[in-house]
Amino acid sequence: MILLQSPSRFLLQILHDRLLSQDKGVDIDCQTVEFDDVRYHIQVSMRNPKVLVLSVALPLPPEEAASFDGLPFGAIEAIKAAYGPVVQILDPPKDGFDLTLKINLAKLPSDEEQKNAILLQIASIREVVLGAPLKILLKNLSMKTVGPEAGQPVALVHRPNESFFVVPQADKATVVYPMRFLDSIDIVLATSFLQEFVEARRTAALNNAPACMWSQSPPPELKGAPESALTANAGFVTFVVNPRHVEGKKLDRTVWNLLTFHAYVSYHVKCSEGFMHTRMRRRVDTLIQALDRAKSDAEKLKKMVTGPSFKKWFVI
Amino acid sequence: MANTIRLYLTCIRNTLEAAMCLQNFPCQEVERHNKPEVELNTSPGLIMNPVLICRNEAEKCLIETSINSIRISMKVKQADELENILAKKFLRFLSMRAEAFQVLRRKPVQGYDISFLITNYHCEEMHKHKLIDFIVQFMEDIDKEISELKLSVNTRGRLVATEFLKQFI
Repeated sequence: MILLQSPSRFLLQILHDRLLSQDKGVDIDCQTVEFDDVRYHIQVSMRNPKVLVLSVALPLPPEEAASFDGLPFGAIEAIKAAYGPVVQILDPPKDGFDLTLKINLAKLPSDEEQKNAILLQIASIREVVLGAPLKILLKNLSMKTVGPEAGQPVALVHRPNESFFVVPQADKATVVYPMRFLDSIDIVLATSFLQEFVEARRTAALNNAPACMWSQSPPPELKGAPESALTANAGFVTFVVNPRHVEGKKLDRTVWNLLTFHAYVSYHVKCSEGFMHTRMRRRVDTLIQALDRAKSDAEKLKKMVTGPSFKKWFVI
Repeated sequence: MANTIRLYLTCIRNTLEAAMCLQNFPCQEVERHNKPEVELNTSPGLIMNPVLICRNEAEKCLIETSINSIRISMKVKQADELENILAKKFLRFLSMRAEAFQVLRRKPVQGYDISFLITNYHCEEMHKHKLIDFIVQFMEDIDKEISELKLSVNTRGRLVATEFLKQFI
């Protein structure tokens, strides 16, 4: 799985299981944590088997990213638009969470395909809520209009206490990510990965992809941004999004990809380190075998006869 | 440029073949103790002149011999930041498994990346020419492994970037 998927497997599994088991089944009360500090808590009680209560906790926004009542800008409208009568927002949200929804499975459409589509949408609650402000900005781009913040960097949350910036303009939107990593090895690996992004964009096949740049110092687009946001130990990545990338069906996918860019790079850096460990272990085994060849036959015979553990040796 | 590695390794191999004449030597200072003299460095009569073989400024190999032990220290080529951390990671990985390797030293000598300590007991247990083969193969393998790790990181980076950017088309 190279790309990060939008619907959460955990939520999708629970929703499908609930639908299949209709009126039988047990009470469910599960919590889970996803990457970047997003927590889910889902509850079903057998008194109302058709009703699920889902609570979502979002990453802590830094000061520069505005939040209205703990939810990103435009989140409530996005939820109402995406789910219709199936989902109801409960106010105030449960203790320790930012959003609580009541999902009524009885109100799902009877058509199999539409039902699955809505369940998939519910499992993608993270994209709907966290991506709401980005979706509004990119929708403006696709309609070639600008809101009041044209030309100024807008801060949006994607990780706990960190934000990325979008500079909306009439014909394009520039997205800038300050990349920060905790581990020094991660920083070096991520820097080489990010430089590959710039190289890959130059190949002919990807001419239609957003233009991609990397720089160690903050790019000029971030001139209006606060000081604390301008330190990044793995440099700054800039994407230039055109209306072509956000028309029609592509909008949702673009929003998800831009929202989880840092998580994507981080995930692959960690995979890379895991792969390196496997390689190194294999190499150590090869070297130890080479050393064993250096042992004289007399030693090997002695070990074979007197040693407590039996290994298969063919002494020719 | 590709030829110099062969010359470098042949030089190291020849030096090791000449230097690896180890015999049992009980400690002169403490009764009934038997220590590797190259590590103690106390008596000048027991230590021979160290030999430094340099391939270039970045890569070199120091061979110190004594009557019952020989210490070989290597410095590995590290061209850029990525190779630097890959080499450090890999060599630390190996050093932590020094027990399994027997002839490997847990900490490298100051100024070098990895060190071996071979005593007369190792020479008694193992064939001398095979031991030298192992050391030379070890050196080659380290270089190969580091360049392969670097290549795998770059390849993965290219793949990851292409997949991501393809999503927008």
